[in-house]
Amino acid sequence: MKRAFLVVVTAATAFATACTNLPRSRDLANPNVAAITIAQQVCSDCHGVTGNSVSPNFPNLAAQTSPYLIAQLKGFKSHNRADPAGFEYMWGLSRSLTEEQITSLAAYYSTQRPVANPGRSEATRVSVGKQIFETGLAAKNVPACMSCHGPAAQGNETFPRLAGQHADYVIKQLIVFQRTDERPEGAVMKIIAHDLALDEINNLAAYIQSL
Amino acid sequence: MQTPISRSSRQIRKLIGLLSLTVVTLATNLSSSVSALPLFARQTGQNCVACHAGGQFPELTPYGRLFKLTGYTIGQRTVPISAMGLISSSRVANTSKSDDPGADFQKNNQVILATGSLFLGGKITDNIGAFVQITHDPYANQSDDGRFHGHTNADNIDLRYADRFIDDKRDLVVGVSVNNNPSVADPWSTAPAWMQYVPVPSPTSSRFVDGNAPYPGYAAGGNIAGVTAYAYWNKMIYAELGGYATSRGALSFMSAGLRNADTTKLRGINPYWRLAWTHEWGPHNIMLGTAGMMARIYDDPLDTSDASTTHRTRDLSVDAQYQYLLDPHSVTGQFVYSRGNHRYPGALANVPSAFVDATGNALGNSNSSDTTDLVRTKLTYVYQARYGGSVGLFSLTGSTNTANQSSGYSPDSLTITSDPGVAAPSMRVGGNLSGNPATRGWTLEAFWTPVQYVRVGAQYTAYSRYNGASHNYDGFGRNARDNNTLFLYVWAAY
Repeated sequence: MKRAFLVVVTAATAFATACTNLPRSRDLANPNVAAITIAQQVCSDCHGVTGNSVSPNFPNLAAQTSPYLIAQLKGFKSHNRADPAGFEYMWGLSRSLTEEQITSLAAYYSTQRPVANPGRSEATRVSVGKQIFETGLAAKNVPACMSCHGPAAQGNETFPRLAGQHADYVIKQLIVFQRTDERPEGAVMKIIAHDLALDEINNLAAYIQSL
Repeated sequence: MQTPISRSSRQIRKLIGLLSLTVVTLATNLSSSVSALPLFARQTGQNCVACHAGGQFPELTPYGRLFKLTGYTIGQRTVPISAMGLISSSRVANTSKSDDPGADFQKNNQVILATGSLFLGGKITDNIGAFVQITHDPYANQSDDGRFHGHTNADNIDLRYADRFIDDKRDLVVGVSVNNNPSVADPWSTAPAWMQYVPVPSPTSSRFVDGNAPYPGYAAGGNIAGVTAYAYWNKMIYAELGGYATSRGALSFMSAGLRNADTTKLRGINPYWRLAWTHEWGPHNIMLGTAGMMARIYDDPLDTSDASTTHRTRDLSVDAQYQYLLDPHSVTGQFVYSRGNHRYPGALANVPSAFVDATGNALGNSNSSDTTDLVRTKLTYVYQARYGGSVGLFSLTGSTNTANQSSGYSPDSLTITSDPGVAAPSMRVGGNLSGNPATRGWTLEAFWTPVQYVRVGAQYTAYSRYNGASHNYDGFGRNARDNNTLFLYVWAAY
């Protein structure tokens, strides 16, 4: 029994020190693991292998702009981004990623092809949301979203792509911007979203998801 | 002299005091240090909700299932130890219908350190990981003077090798698990090893709490040794196939701490299989599955010389699980139906009963085989991974067998006896007068998770039928509802 235990421990130690499987590793602290491997072996569990996630709990990443992805991963790693979706899921996963892995992960997702969001959006909400997205709400000093995020919500550099994003995720993040300081890198959104009513947020999210 | 009421209210006040102290202490210590997390959370750096639906375990999220199936290898190696403890108090509805309440309900209504576990494991290499639970039961044994003695032994053990072949066209997870409990490698909580209310106190301290109830299935239990191979294809089809044998030789650590006489002895290799279909859409996911096991179990763990002394069991089950997971809501619905067939060794079949009926007529001989049907369902809701509640239903039915009778009429006196001196002593509280296993009831639970490492809960198990009857199931007038149990607990893991 004792001998068997020793054999198991010795074997485990030998494996631990010698055995890596770089092409299919899920090790998030090994700088030699390629970003695409991390994306496939780990990130895909929630975000989908091509960055199109099934659950609205997790944002779509396909075709997201590279600078935005880099900023978010760095924000998670530094704990600068502290909303629940960030610290519950992403702080730990990003803690040991190297600059190169972060840049390559961003490159991977920014070049993936987005698919239409299968979530249903109410037509009336979509049309009202479209109007807010394209023209803003002058009475509430809300500028047109498209002025930064692009006419097709395709994003632009550090302004993220929104098209096809899960409505639930958009709603939650707009509320994070509006009511908290948990995403300081998006401080500009705090001012923009400040006066949005919940109903208007829902309309915007419905439109964005339908794109 | 103290009345039972003033004593019980003092106990409850004591429990509440203890709960508050534990919560405050843990909250103070833990909130200041995010690096101090249980084993797997330390490894991934994630919050418990990433893997456990609504933060309550053992129920896993789709991500948690993949974490398990990929061999606990996501993340980075860390201190591979966690500890878990349970402080609880349970109260059985009726302790008077017993000829020895002191022995039958010794820890009733007392605040006790109910159980504790040490976990070892996590990521070992890129392909190898482990989940090893070692549990200490402070009330494992009782000596003649009535004092309890603690015992520590191997609990759930799951050592894995896993690999994943994934690109944008296919996703195949394959692995091998060496484990000590059929279905413990399963990632769904409808598996027999996982479909129970957690946590539970030591069975000897509170036998009627759901989770301690005597559900049949995969009769071998958690002290054998098996190897299973599994594959999960395109997050759609899960298949697992393996064999179990007595834990011995290099795998004897699978039953470490158990006495030889308490270790299940299997004849040869005994097959276990599992097949499940899964689907995810939006925040929903569903699983439909089936599983089974055939086993040959020696009647006497200390005598494995004669193949004709084996029990042959066959368990087949169908199960289903639905989850809705969208922060802040978490809903899990579970269903399992299991049919068990138990064929007795020749020497135990067709044996005359030591009991007689009320008028002194002989009872039928024992059966050569029995069947049982078990249905369990559970619906859980958790809000903000903080406030949760669940309702569970259980119904066990089966064939009647005089060999199952542990209570009955003495042929000498035609009365039900609890005198252990007679040839066939009957049992109070745990007795079975009918020879039928039927047990039916429901469980309600409400819990609060103030910080992710601490859960405070109140659980109530109610029985409408117990050991084959709703009234007088033991022959001494004890009714099923007398076993209804309130269970209050503080659980913590670190």
